[in-house]
Order: sequence, then C-alpha cells, then structure tokens
Amino acid sequence: MSGSKPDILWAPHHVDRFVVCDSELSLYHIESAVSSELKAGSLRLSEETTATLLSINSDTPYMKCVAWYPKYDPECLLAVGQANGRVVLTSLGQDHNSKSKDLIGKEFVPKHARQCNTLAWNPLDSNWLAAGLDKHRADFSVLIWDISSKYAPETAVAAEKVRLSTGDPEAGLVVTKPLYELGQNDACLSLCWLPRDQKLLLAGMHRNLAIFDLRNTSQKIFVNTKAVQGVTVDPYFHDRVASFYEGQVAIWDLRKFEKPVLTLTEQPKPLTKVAWCPTRTGLLATLTRDSNIIRLYDMQHTPTPIGDETEPTIIERSVQPCENYIASFAWHPTSQNRMVVVTPNRTMSDFTVFERISLAWSPVTSLMWACGRHLYECTEEGKASSLEKDIATKMRLRALSRWFRCQVCLFQLGYMQLSASAVARRTEIKYSEFTQYISSEILFGKVTMYEGDLNLNVVAMALSGYTDEKNSLWREMCSTLRLQLNNPYLCAMFAFLTSESGSYDGVLYENNMAVRDRVAFACKFLNDAQLNRFIEKLTNEMKDAGNLEGILLTGLTKDGVDLMESYVDRTGDVQTASYCMLQGSPSEVLKDERVQYWIENYRNLLDAWRFWHKRAEFDIHRSKLDPSSKPLAQVFVSCNFCGKSISYSCSAIPHQGRGFSQYGVSGSPTKSKVTSCPGCRGSKSDEKVDLSKDKKLAQFNNWFTWCHNCRHGGHAGHMLSWFSFILHVFPFYLLSLSRDHTECPVSACSCKCMQLDTTGNLIPAETVQV
Amino acid sequence: MDLHILEHRVRVLSLARRGLWLYTHPLLKLLFLPQRCRCKFFSLTETPEDYTIMLDEEGFKELPPSEFMQVADSTWLVLSVVSNGRAPSGCQATGVTKIARSVIAPLAEHHVSVLMLSTYQTDFILVRERDLPVVIHTLAGEFDIYKEENGESIPVPCDDTTNGFLKPKSASSPTLHPVQSPQNRFCILTVAPDTLPAIATMLIDVLFYSHGPPKEPGAGDLDSITFFSFSLIEGYISIVMDAETQKRFPSDLLLTSSSGELWRMVRIGGQPLGFDECGIVAQIAEPLAAVDISAYYISTFNFDHALVPEEGITEVIELLQKRQESGR
Repeated sequence: MSGSKPDILWAPHHVDRFVVCDSELSLYHIESAVSSELKAGSLRLSEETTATLLSINSDTPYMKCVAWYPKYDPECLLAVGQANGRVVLTSLGQDHNSKSKDLIGKEFVPKHARQCNTLAWNPLDSNWLAAGLDKHRADFSVLIWDISSKYAPETAVAAEKVRLSTGDPEAGLVVTKPLYELGQNDACLSLCWLPRDQKLLLAGMHRNLAIFDLRNTSQKIFVNTKAVQGVTVDPYFHDRVASFYEGQVAIWDLRKFEKPVLTLTEQPKPLTKVAWCPTRTGLLATLTRDSNIIRLYDMQHTPTPIGDETEPTIIERSVQPCENYIASFAWHPTSQNRMVVVTPNRTMSDFTVFERISLAWSPVTSLMWACGRHLYECTEEGKASSLEKDIATKMRLRALSRWFRCQVCLFQLGYMQLSASAVARRTEIKYSEFTQYISSEILFGKVTMYEGDLNLNVVAMALSGYTDEKNSLWREMCSTLRLQLNNPYLCAMFAFLTSESGSYDGVLYENNMAVRDRVAFACKFLNDAQLNRFIEKLTNEMKDAGNLEGILLTGLTKDGVDLMESYVDRTGDVQTASYCMLQGSPSEVLKDERVQYWIENYRNLLDAWRFWHKRAEFDIHRSKLDPSSKPLAQVFVSCNFCGKSISYSCSAIPHQGRGFSQYGVSGSPTKSKVTSCPGCRGSKSDEKVDLSKDKKLAQFNNWFTWCHNCRHGGHAGHMLSWFSFILHVFPFYLLSLSRDHTECPVSACSCKCMQLDTTGNLIPAETVQV
Repeated sequence: MDLHILEHRVRVLSLARRGLWLYTHPLLKLLFLPQRCRCKFFSLTETPEDYTIMLDEEGFKELPPSEFMQVADSTWLVLSVVSNGRAPSGCQATGVTKIARSVIAPLAEHHVSVLMLSTYQTDFILVRERDLPVVIHTLAGEFDIYKEENGESIPVPCDDTTNGFLKPKSASSPTLHPVQSPQNRFCILTVAPDTLPAIATMLIDVLFYSHGPPKEPGAGDLDSITFFSFSLIEGYISIVMDAETQKRFPSDLLLTSSSGELWRMVRIGGQPLGFDECGIVAQIAEPLAAVDISAYYISTFNFDHALVPEEGITEVIELLQKRQESGR
C-alpha cells in the first residue's frame, strides 16, 4: 500500500462512499451521473456513476493496512496499521460524533516495533480489533486491542518513554496493553474473525493456518500449509475459508481442516487479493499482480461439504474492467455483484459483474431467463391465431378435451370405408352402374361437403350434357374448364367423365381428394397390376409427405411408423403419433424405439404441463393396449412375520432395493378374504394384517394402515383406538393420560409409531367432543 | 515445542578489514539487492578484528576467494525453535535464555559445537552438517523435529538406535573463557524491507567507512568496542548497532521495542575460540537462564558476543565472574 500500490475499501454501511489508500487516505462519494456532463472535480467511474473527492487524510504515514470500523456509527472511523506495528484510529471528513472524538487519534503500540500486516475488526464486538504483525523473537504476533480501553496509569509511564524515543505528541492516547496476545515468536500475515463465535480468530501465520480460541488461549487448532495469505471467510457459508500462496488459492472447510478441500488452478503470477462476494453465495474474486483482469470462481454449485470422491464443479470466469493493470478491487457491500477497481495511477472504475444468464422455455409458449436475482419472463405477444397454430397449444387443448377418442374413432371409420370400397371392387359392378354410383353416392356426397358459392345447378346443367362421344365439344369444354373448379371432387368427376378409358390420372392424382376416395376409385377402375403400382406409389408419396391419411394404406405397421416419423418431423405432434401407434397391435410397432420415444416425450410433455391426471389416463390407456408398459408395483405390503410381500400382483419381477421377495399367488384372485399371510400360511393367529379384498370402498375405520418405521399395522380404527385408548374412556384426563399408549401394539416392539406421525399428535375433532 | 531444521546450508567466514575493498560489490549486492542473488540467509557482523559473514551457499558463490578470506571448514545447518503457542507463557525471559536449557545444554553435553545468531525476529542455532544425526538424536526427546524442504515442513523420524559414538563422552569441565564488558550501549532493531533503500547510504557509511584505526585486540577492559551486525534472513532485517550510531539514522524508520531498551555487551574469549570447542554458549546462557535474564547472542568467527539488558549488566558480570571463580 505504501508507495505505488493503492488499495480500495467500500464503507460498510454508507454504501455511496469508498476510500482509496496509498500514502494517504482519500474519501470519495459516488453518485449516479444524471447528466452526461461531469461536474467540476468529479471523476467518471462508469457510464452511470461519478465520484467526488470529499476529503484527504495524510496524518498516518507508513500505512500498511486499513480496516473500516464495521458499525454504522461513527461513520468514517478507520484503523490504520503502520510499518512500525502501531495501529492508529483515524477518521475522514467532518464527524461531530462524541464517540468518535474519543477514539480518533488513539494509538495501539506493540512492545516491539515491526510491520503490521493485517487488521480485522471483530464483527460481533466492534470494540475488538485484531492486528497481525511480523515476527519478533520474544513478542506476540497477533494482538487483540480493545479500542474502548482507557490507558492505565502505568502504561502512561510507558507512553512517556515512547514519547521520548519517538517524539509522539499525543502520548495520552497511546494504549500498550492488548486484550489478548497470541502467536509468540511467529509471524502473522493475515487474519479474519470467524462468524461462528466472537472469540474465534483465524490467522495465517508463518507456514501454518491457526484458529485461536480466545476462551482458551493456550489451545489452538492449526494446519501446516504455505497458503497463509489473505484468509477470508465465505460470508454465506461460515465453514468455508479461502487463503492463498503465490499463484494458488486454497479453499478450506473448517470442519475438515487437515488439508484444503480444493485448490484452484494456479496462476502464473502471484496473487494480491482474494475476496468473497458479499452479495452472492460462493463467488470468489481473485487478482494477480500486473494483471488487468479479475478472475471469478463460482462455487455456488459445488457440493458442501465437499467430499473426496466428488469432482467439484467450479465455473471460472474473468472480467476486465479496464485497460490498465488493476492495483486492487473491492466488492460493494450491498449492491449486487458490484465492484470498484483502482489502478496504480489511481484511476477508478465502477462496474457490475454480470451473472451468467440461464434460459428456459416453459412448456406453454413463454420464455424465462434468470440473471442474478432477477427473473425475466417473456411471453409472446403475437396474434391469437399464431398461438393457436402452434402445435404445442393445439396438443394442449386436445389433451384437455377428449380429442384422442375422436381421433381413434375417425381412424376406425376410415378403415371401414376402405374395406367397403375393397368389397365393392370384388363384386364387379358394371361400368355404367359405377358412373351412376360415383356421381351420385360418393362424389356427389363429397361435392355437397364443399359447398361454397358454387351453384350446383350449373354443375347439374353441365352434367346433363354428358355424351359418350369421344370428340364432342362438351368433352373438350369440360376437360379444359374443369381445372377452374375449386372443388376437387367436381374436378375429379369431370376428369373421369372426360377421360379416355383406362386413363384415370386426373382422378387418381387429384391430391385434394381424400385418400380413401382415391383408393376406392382405384379399386374399382384399375386392373390388378395398375392398382398395385398406384397403391405403392401413393403409399410412398404419403410416407414422404407424412400425410396421416396414408395410414389407411400402410396400416399401423413398420411403414406406418415411417409415415408417422415424417409427420412428426413435419409437425412435432407427438400426441397424435403416440395415440395412433398405441393402436398398433403388432408388438414390433410398439417396440420400435421411435414409437417409445414419442410416447415418452408425450408423457413428459403432459408432466411438464402438470396434467398429471391426463398423463395417468394416458398411462392407463397405454397399459391396456400395451401390457408390457404396465408400471411396477410401488407400494408393497409385507407380512411382519416372514417379511415377505403380500401381493396379488402377477408380475414376476422382484422388487428391488428392499429385502423381501415378491410373492406371486397362483390361486384365484376372486378369493374373497385372506386372513393370514400367504407366505407363512397363517400360522400366526394374532397377525395384524387384514387383507380384505372387498370391491366396495371400505370405511376409514376398516382401512389397513401401518407404521412406516416398524412396519406393524392394522385396521385404522383399531390403531386409532389403541393410541388414544385412555382418551376415549377418560376424556377428562386427556392431556395427562392420552400419551399412555405411545408405543406400537405389537409386543416387544418399542416403536413410537404415533409420535412419528406428525398428524398423530392432532386429536380428531369428534374425539374431543366426547 | 517444534525444532525446525531450515533449508539453508550456511558457510561461516571471516573477512579481514584490509581486504574489504575486494568484496564491496558483492556485499552491497547481498545487503541491498537480495532479489539479484538468490541468497536467503545473510549476516554480516563487524567486530574490531574482522568482518564475520554467515551466508548460504547461493550467497557464498558471490564472494571470490582471496587471501583476505578465511572460511570455516564445514557447512552449517540452521536450527530454529518454534514454540507453536505451546510454550509455558509464565517465563518472561526471551531469546537464548529460553532455549538454553532445552537445546544448548543438551547439545553441549553431547559435544556438539554450536554457533548462535540472534536476530530481532528469532534465534538461530547453527550446527555442523556432520553433527546432524547427533543433534536429532539428542533433541528428539524434547522436540518434534521437522526438516524444511521446498517450504514444506517434513517430520524427521527419530530412530532410537544408539550408535556408539552418540554416547556422551566423559563430561570434561569446559574451558572457562574470560569475559569482557565494553562500556558502550547497543540497540537491537529492525527495518521494514521496503524502507531499506532510505537508509542505504547511511548504512554503507557506518559499515564500511566509519571505523577508526583498529584497536589492539585484548587491550584490557575496553571502554568501547566497534560492533555492528546486520542480517537479512528470509526477508527479515535485523540490526544491532551502537546507540550513538543509531542517532545518525532517521528515527522513524528504525523499528525497535516501544520501551526503547538498550543493551550491554558481554564479549567472550580472550583468544580466538575456534569452531571445535563446545559448550561456550552453554556456559554463558545457562547461568543467565537460571536467573531469568534475557539475552541476545551473536557468534562471530573469533569471539562470541552476548547482549543483556543494561539494567542487568552488573548482575550478569557478577554471575559470570562467580562462575569463573567456582570453576577454578
């Protein structure tokens, strides 16, 4: 600090002030820059802030370290450690507080002069100031001063001597008797009080870290290490301490003090400052010599306590607040992640370290991101129609309605139609008959579906001119004008009527016509070879396009999955895919990993929407269609004598993780009542398990209940009356006697079942009324 | 208590006054530019007879051999006692006195020759490298012994096998050396390393230019003695100088005890003591420890020097004279 290297400190309470100290102390006031112009005498620290120099104190030469009084009042009281080991209390600015008047100018003088390396105010008792000094052969290196102590007469004599030797004009304010003296014949390089207790002090001594307990000063805990510089406690995790040595930072856990729990990557240059962020957990800033970057280590997600086996996750970042080398930095005490840095030529810069931004999409169209303590939500403000078009919205609405049932019905209907047309082909209807059929039944039926502003009478008029003649004007007109028709069925109809016999491309490749109709048409009018070729071609077309109508051709087969794949690729609609594929009876289809993937994703989607019930319904629906997807039993009832599970589950998969083996009963599940454990065949008559399998819902009293701790149980009613036996009989002794049966009713079991149950301590309302 | 065997391997040498001109450059480098040479242990003591230099092998390379330089034959290892806060805190006496009983006396009994170097910060005990097994064996009972290697303290295992040569020889009563007490007063002080440049010129003047013509050694009861000691060990500076000399320095840069205490010297030896005799430190330190007087001890190439608080000098002289009488 003395000489060229300035240090910087924020006021702990008056958060708009800071001090820069090199050979003198300069107090600055920081304010937001309202206008773009600088006021006279103020310095720009950032785009938003400027600093004004309030006062300078150059009373204390040979400064080695400075510490700001931690209490709100007096405001600008600073302790300065000097090169000769003296600690001086000084102040900046005008402060007319009487308390501070008593304190300012007070000096704390060690017996033997040597450099004061560090100072630390006790955070709990602000009268205590610890000073760490260099080594002396006979003196102590950690001195704890009580700033409120009055100088005693005998020390005044000593002070007299001091005055003679050093020419100190204010001998009356000299204190020479420390409250505690620690670390004899050792050097103290860094100090910090442990927030756990007022009397615990952590010191970086020469080649070891020591925890001094002032309640018993002869005892200390210490660990030999080179990392003794800059000890500092994590303000959010009081057992975590950082210290450094040259380029290496060591992180210690005070509960496991034998060795550092982790060491950070070594820097090529020696470190000069290490500080935990006071406004954010687990963020450590480090600065090395001759560097213009501050390196940050984020230990927020490092597991605590850190085990040997886990690889700690530390996110390392660096920030460059300015172009010049940084002499020192200081975190702002309250403003989040804010920091001020000072360069060797005393230019300062105020900046905020931005948090890494994490981003998440919600399952319903909104976007969320977190930055520091702020959470931003971004919802799309587009038109409602664009939202509706979104497949996620669609799926969500469908899931809420009973959409899937309709869909399934539709598919079934489609199947029926397809088979009907196939039947029609087999019956070899005559050509003319079909003309009639197609015009009246199928096509005209469809034509009516496309009503629009088309006058069907006009169509009827055009139709009435139909002639068999190949080169008639009617045919010529119709074949050209039909392309102007919007209605695909009408268009197809005229194509059919005007086509050469055996060439039905105008009908078959009318893409706007329903696939089933085109197939029906093909069945009727194409010969077997043509039909096969057409169907094959159409199938491939459908598969490539992901057109769901194509399912009619592929069926729910491997080809159907391919088709569905391109459909999902095109739309993202896993809902339809899941429901359709569940219908596929061949198990290969269900086993197809794409199908499983769609189903799992749909389930996850439902979970993400919190549609738990819909998901459960879907699971039930699924397990009906795909028995292999049935979930494993998750609740087991065990016999308390043989320890085996009492279960009718036919699933042969043993439950893992617990000791008891699955018991499968081969007998009829209609067996009305089992009164004994099927595992040990009921030799125990006093068994407290009721396996009533009544279909109707039992009264609460008849519910089977058991303790999760000792696994004993019985009918809920019986259990209740056991634990509140006295209560029923003697309601007046309710308070004193109700605790009589606190233990499990099973003999020799001392489990306090009822007390383990938090609701067990509540008295049922009806009982109290008795 | 812990005993640390430090990394330094120290050579002890004497430089004749008339040969000083040859060594000025390396000495200035060792004094003021420690970062230029990798010397971590350097001590320079001016006595009326010569300059005694103790420095590690890195520093020793800086000094060219010449007819003016006498080098003690062996390499010395540096021991340091670390109390670790477990020392009994009742004892007020400091320095050599504190370790007299626990280190110096046992080593004297086992015929280990020691050199002492007290500094403002601590006391160093120098033993010959070849004596190290005996030292470890002798002190293992009293201390946890650590050897420092690359800055790490490594515990030294102690094998209890007693080799024949380790047995104490018949305790011959040590030679009693005469003591002298010059009249001048000394102060012991330190300087912050970053303020050393501020006093450099003064220091050069005092060290190399300010002595008068050499006095005849052993000229009876000395009125005053030329004595100046400077050490720079592991970055710490320690200076012993005459109280009159101190007045020439700016007072705010020299750091000393707040009581401003002054010290008187006891100079041991009428004839040069050599390096083989053991028990010299012990015969001074032990009586002082017995009466709880703190002392400060600097061995040089020829003689040993003890510093005691000026209030205690008469008591010390009496004590040592009594010892001499009883020894006879």
